Amino acid sequence: MAGIELLSDQGFRVDGRRPHELRKIQCRMGVFRQADGSAYIEQGNTRALATVYGPHEASGGRVRAQHDRVTINCQYSMATFSTGERKKRPMGDRKSQEMSQNLQRTFEAAIMTQLYPRSQIDIYVQVLQADGGNYCACVNAATLAIIDAGIPMRDYVCACSAGFVSDTPLVDISYLEESLGGPDMIVALLPKSEQIALFQLNSRLHADHLSKVLDMATKGCKDIHTVLDGAVRDHVSEVTDSMARS
Amino acid sequence: MAASTICIPGQRLGSTEEFQAGKGTYTRQGYVYSSLAGFRHESKQGEDLPELQVLLEDQQTVVPEVGSVVTVKMTSVNPRFCRCAILSVEGTPLTQSFRGMIRREDIRATEKDKVEVYKSYRPGDVVLARILSLGDAQWYLLSTAENELGVVLAQSEAGVNMVPISWCEMVCPKTHSKEFRKVARVQPQYLIQPAGT
Repeated sequence: MAGIELLSDQGFRVDGRRPHELRKIQCRMGVFRQADGSAYIEQGNTRALATVYGPHEASGGRVRAQHDRVTINCQYSMATFSTGERKKRPMGDRKSQEMSQNLQRTFEAAIMTQLYPRSQIDIYVQVLQADGGNYCACVNAATLAIIDAGIPMRDYVCACSAGFVSDTPLVDISYLEESLGGPDMIVALLPKSEQIALFQLNSRLHADHLSKVLDMATKGCKDIHTVLDGAVRDHVSEVTDSMARS
Repeated sequence: MAASTICIPGQRLGSTEEFQAGKGTYTRQGYVYSSLAGFRHESKQGEDLPELQVLLEDQQTVVPEVGSVVTVKMTSVNPRFCRCAILSVEGTPLTQSFRGMIRREDIRATEKDKVEVYKSYRPGDVVLARILSLGDAQWYLLSTAENELGVVLAQSEAGVNMVPISWCEMVCPKTHSKEFRKVARVQPQYLIQPAGT
């Protein structure tokens, strides 16, 4: 592993991308009929599926229900076949619980929780194939699923990862770039208002480089927003056309 | 009401000096923003500022709120209160039901102390009720203490839909047996007009 050059002299990464270039993103909304909202996203080789149920009556009664706002329940899991080595516990481990909590906090910042008091919204996200940027793919898929469910949000939530290799910030890092132990920054952003919903930094990064990497991640979030925006507009047009035909 | 462009969450739609926020929108720092993906609608009512709404026909997420009229189905009845499942809010069906409770004193507006719950509602009855309060964390508190609220659909022991004959009685068209119910007055807009009139 030590011999791998993450950034060539010509400025290309291992997978042939430039430092500022995102992986190819493909997404679909409304993939399940049973759920209130659902979405599927591919970011390079990372694939995630999100389903949203609700708002519905809060399960767990007195403990869960909040009288002034909706309770957001998130569950993150990875398919047993999502990684090279088969996973023994697809959910319920420490990492999954942490991811679930992060998702919950992220979406509490974006969903208009005060509109649905004493109710609950369930967000289930599953990573079908993991190749770095799992959390980001999950946030982006969940955003599309929430929009598909017709749940009011202040703004999209777009997440993007960024790394730092030999004085160059890299956007949307893959598993290979993640696993080599460099700094890995995850930013979840509300792109229109530029509010940060989640900021996470794994491994140390010098303060002098922080703003550069953060700017790169923010730009990545805005580029992702452009892609998601196009997908939502296409979906709304499709739904309207199908309703007009029927 | 003119429909126009597609709007997406977070999109700025106009200033609060020109428009007021309606369904699917919110205000922030003097501007109206969209909170849903759908189509922009402007509606003007009288002297007020035009109202901006973002709507998509197949999407309506609602939860019961205080003051709204709901359609409920009775699940259990006891001498002090009856429990029910809230099926729709102001005519919009819910994907999953919420739990509600009608206390004995909230069944009728008059002679509250003489009310017998079992002579007002039975399990399986479909009832129109108004949400009084959010109650405790478990149940919504409902009331039927209005003429327009009460049983709209009830089945007799023979399994036939009964017909109201007074404010407090319904009759089975098959067996002609009478049963006590707190009957709702059917509002004119819900009456089915005969064809060709």
